[in-house]
Amino acid sequence: MPVPALEIRGLTKRYDDGFLALDGFDLTVPDGAFFGLLGPNGAGKTTLISAVCNLIRITSGEALVFGEPHDSPKARRMVGLAEQDVNLDRFLDVEETLVYHGGYYGMSRRDARARAREMMEVFDLSAKADVRAPKLSGGMRRRLLLARALMHEPRLVILDEPTAGVDFELRLELWRYIRRLHAEGTTILLTTHYLEEAEELCEEIALIRGGRLLARDSADGLRQAYDAETLTDVYVKAMAA
Amino acid sequence: MSRGLVALTGREILRVLKLWTQTIGAPVVSSFLFILVFGLSLGNRITSIGGFDYEVFIVPGLITMAMVQAAYANNSASVFQAKFDRYLNDILAAPMRSWEVNVGLSLGGVVRALLIGAALLVLSMLVVDVPLREPLVLLLAVALALVLFSALGVVVGIYAESWDHTAFVNNLVILPLTFLGGVFYSVDVLPSPWQELSHVNPIFYLVQAVRYGFLGTSDVSVALALGVTAALAAVCVAWSTLLFATGRRIKP
Repeated sequence: MPVPALEIRGLTKRYDDGFLALDGFDLTVPDGAFFGLLGPNGAGKTTLISAVCNLIRITSGEALVFGEPHDSPKARRMVGLAEQDVNLDRFLDVEETLVYHGGYYGMSRRDARARAREMMEVFDLSAKADVRAPKLSGGMRRRLLLARALMHEPRLVILDEPTAGVDFELRLELWRYIRRLHAEGTTILLTTHYLEEAEELCEEIALIRGGRLLARDSADGLRQAYDAETLTDVYVKAMAA
Repeated sequence: MSRGLVALTGREILRVLKLWTQTIGAPVVSSFLFILVFGLSLGNRITSIGGFDYEVFIVPGLITMAMVQAAYANNSASVFQAKFDRYLNDILAAPMRSWEVNVGLSLGGVVRALLIGAALLVLSMLVVDVPLREPLVLLLAVALALVLFSALGVVVGIYAESWDHTAFVNNLVILPLTFLGGVFYSVDVLPSPWQELSHVNPIFYLVQAVRYGFLGTSDVSVALALGVTAALAAVCVAWSTLLFATGRRIKP
């Protein structure tokens, strides 16, 4: 049996203020999948992603990335993350942002520069190579976030609401790029509030609420299971249950 | 040295250089003004201290003060900003070990302090005849001072929840202790109990160690001065190491 891209067993996260964000959460994402996470604000989506990416201290349970403990350097090298918030280094320009990120992930300076040029081409950022992040437009920042997440060629790309607040044109453009990435064999874990985005892109969708997994299936499977016509109806029924 | 550590150190140094007017220029100018105003203008009215002209006596302390403040301010600001803007996540998610992140974030302050120290030394030598009697002691004292204040800056940057917190430690702890640590005077001339109280001030020992390196003389034994500074550096390094190893205050 192939090693899953992500395997989460009994993951619990209780924050210092006592809030229980994840409660014995189990999830397996197969290698090569395009997997969506749907849930309301506070459902635990971002906490789950942060746990996988070593950004929070997990209370109990484990997360394995391609069979490696999530906090091991080997696992972290295989994960690329584009966070929901635009968290770009204000002191670096576009090219430096990409090159230094490559360095953090162990790329040589020469390789990082070459890959940065490639990423700037792909995301139409070349003309802004020497512009610092705070001076970029919102759309450009989103592109840079995605380019940064892909700099070190991760096998598992985690996208936390990548199209939140972007215009329709850019959303379609990002969808095209994410699809191409998936077609090349990269595993994608996507969180989104846009149900049509999940339906359009994801092969499988997990519904989560209150730190627990409610259901997981393809969009068709979920519609059948909830006896619903649309994914919106599924979502409403699942969250109301 | 891993590529991750090299990249993070490079990023911290790049930040210092990009902001050179604030990070290097301003502290060099203000400290050099201290040397000119206090040393050259007031120095003529003050008799020598410990056999040295006043303008010579104050140079080691002023260079120390500028360097430790720079090491602290740089790291507390850089770490707090990275945390506040959340780009620290890009570093925490990377395949670097916790000690590498700690060292990488610390070295920016060290480099900034060394650039300031070198600039002040050169400028001081142009106007004051400062001797360099014990260079090895000076190197050791500067190294310990920079380890201590770089680590302290990282720790405060991690704990800080606003810019006020980082400024508070600088303005209400480091700066007063530095002024009261014998930068501008020998504590031997103080009456009791101020002389005894000065010996409780940890920065007093640091100033003495650096002064010994320059002038070959200090108010306390150089071994004690270096020992106290090394002990404090060890505490701050252990503290920052613990924070990065456990993720406390860094990761929710």
